Formats: sequence, structure tokens, C-alpha cells
Amino acid sequence: MSKMKELSKGLFKDNPIFVLMLGLCPVLGVSTQVSNAIGMSAGVMFVLLFSNMIISALRKIIPASIHIPAYIVVIASLVSFIQMVMHAYVPSVYNALGVYLPLIVVNCIILGRAEAFASKNTVVDSMLDAIGMSIGFALGLTLIALIRELFGSGTITLFPMGNFSGVINIPWFYDNPIRVFSLAPGALLIMGFLKAFFDWNSSRKKDK
Amino acid sequence: MTKNIKYGLILLSICAVSAFALALTNSITAPVIQQYEFEQRQLALTAVSNGYAIGSEKPVEADPYVTYTIDLTDDGQLAGYIVGLKSAGYGGQMTLVASYKVSGEMMFAQLLTHSETPGLGAKAAETSYMEKFQGTGDDTPVPTDKTMLTDAEAQAVSGASITFGAVSRAIEAGSTYLKNLGGVK
Repeated sequence: MSKMKELSKGLFKDNPIFVLMLGLCPVLGVSTQVSNAIGMSAGVMFVLLFSNMIISALRKIIPASIHIPAYIVVIASLVSFIQMVMHAYVPSVYNALGVYLPLIVVNCIILGRAEAFASKNTVVDSMLDAIGMSIGFALGLTLIALIRELFGSGTITLFPMGNFSGVINIPWFYDNPIRVFSLAPGALLIMGFLKAFFDWNSSRKKDK
Repeated sequence: MTKNIKYGLILLSICAVSAFALALTNSITAPVIQQYEFEQRQLALTAVSNGYAIGSEKPVEADPYVTYTIDLTDDGQLAGYIVGLKSAGYGGQMTLVASYKVSGEMMFAQLLTHSETPGLGAKAAETSYMEKFQGTGDDTPVPTDKTMLTDAEAQAVSGASITFGAVSRAIEAGSTYLKNLGGVK
């Protein structure tokens, strides 16, 4: 597969959320606000990139029978690292992500890509795979969060900067929120509709 | 046997490198985190003090919710207390500070640390969340059940009942503790 295809496959064709269905627990959990989705995506991007790089570099040293414990140590260490850095330097994002930050350790995307890709491919290919997959994850998660927050609260929450509070109130939606979108059933509904859309889109392309 | 030792050594090496890297990171970030938490606590104490002078902290032991009290004084006269509280939320322990009048009526409260679900229980960290408890604890009971809230307030805590229960029980416990002090020491 060419380098470009390696990078772009995670965006749509093998999108981790809508096609591979990986990492759905944090997706459903943190997608209540756009800012949470961006923070979570940044965390996953960092951990996935470095875990793929390290695991790919060590792929000839780590025997198959100790893959899982070795990968978990690498991933857990990276998550602990980013947790400490976020707590120290971006505490607002650290607080917003709450329990989902340490849970990146058990995010299926990280372990899934380590086992399925990084353990069998070169460092460069593994980096491209990680970048593509994390951008695909970020797009999917942010899209779900945008729809949920817009319909559920009538707001779009970003990060406060200077005089900007970080919250944009959307007229009409703000006065007429559909609360179910903010709750767990809303996350499942949107996930289902978007999954159906992706399936319809891919089958349409196949028919052509 | 040799294979197992080899595997063990590989895992040990990965763990040792990871531990060293994390120890190094911790040595850099720990002082920054400590300073940030100290500043947050000072800001929270000032925010809930209602403009009164903040005294020194008095630790409280053997109480499931109250961890410390701080006297609030107005021209040298006791005007109320700030109470450090802890409670068990959905994501684990949460800590908060609340200020009370001498009668046990809550004035202001603020969440300090928590691991609640973003977008749901974590809303307890928003200033507006604590407004529903203001003025309760003396004549008006602290709302510890959603049925004691208005429709709008109940809507705001929907999806996070455990967090609401944890916060309300802590605030009620702070009020009860102060009432048991007898108001004036």
C-alpha cells in the first residue's frame, strides 16, 4: 500500500469509529461537548502515534507470546505521561476529560492498531497509520459531539481564550434543546445514524 | 526455562525504561501540579468566603464528610465557616469547599477535585450547579433528592443522580456538623 493510502485509509475507508467500530466507549462517553472531543482526540493522537512508533521499533525484540503485557506497559506509560503533562500544563482539558483520560489505556484503537499494524510494519508506516487513524477518530468523535451538543444544549463549547468564554450559544437551538441528545441514548442514536450513513455511502461507491 | 527468563528480562527492561521515563516526567510536573492545586484551593476559598476574613484551617477527624473547618470573621466577630468536604461521586472521591453562616445555612460552595463523567456529573464543577443549595441547611432543608428541586433544577441534574446525591449529602453533612458545634465556640 502506498504511503498516501496508508495515511488516508483511517479517514473514511477504515474509519476507526464508523467502520472498524473501535474505541466506542470513550466516543459515547465524552461526546457531550466539542471541547471534550478535541481534548480526547489530542490525547488519543499522542498515545497512538508514540505507541505505534515504539511498538514498531521493538517488533523484532518482543516475542509474540508477550505482546499484550509488553504493549500494555508501553501504552499505560504513555497515558500516564500525557496525564501528568496535561494536569500540569492544560488543567482545564485534564479536568474536562476526567476518567476518560486514564481509560485511553484500554481504548481498543490503541491496542488494536498496535497488534494489527505496528507489530508487523515499519516505523514510518506505523506512524502514518497512527496519524490517519487518529485524524479519522478525531473527525468522527468531533462530528458526534457537534451534533449532540448542538441539538442537546444549543451550544458549541470550545476552549476559553482571552475575553472569549469558550461557549457559543446557537440561536433557536439554545432555547429549544432536545435533552435526549445530551444523554446516553442520544449518543447511541447519533452513532447509529452516522454508521448507517457511512455504510450507505460505502455501498453506493461499490455499486459505481 | 531459558525462554521464560528471556521473556521476563524483556518485560523487565521495558518496565524499567518506562518507570525511569515516568519518574523523570513526574519530577518535572509534580511541582507545577502542586502549585496549581494550591492556587485553585486559594481561589475557591476566596470565592466562597463571601468577603469575610479567612482564618486558619482546623482539621476534622472521624467525620465521613467533613475534613476541615475554617473560621470566617467580620471585624473580629465569627460570621461563619468554610468547611472542607469529601464525598463519593460516580467516578470516585470528590472534594469541595462550602461556606456556611453560623446557623448552618449554606452560602456558597465550589467543587475542587472530582473524576465525574464529562458533560454529566462534571457539571457539578460549574458555578451555577451549586446555586440550588444556597440558603438551605437552616430553615430550608438541603435538597438531597430530585423531588425537592424545581423542574428546571431537576432537569439540570438529570443523567447524573449519583453526583447530585454525593454533593447534596456532603453539603447537608457540613451544615449538620456546624449545627452540632452549637453555632458559637
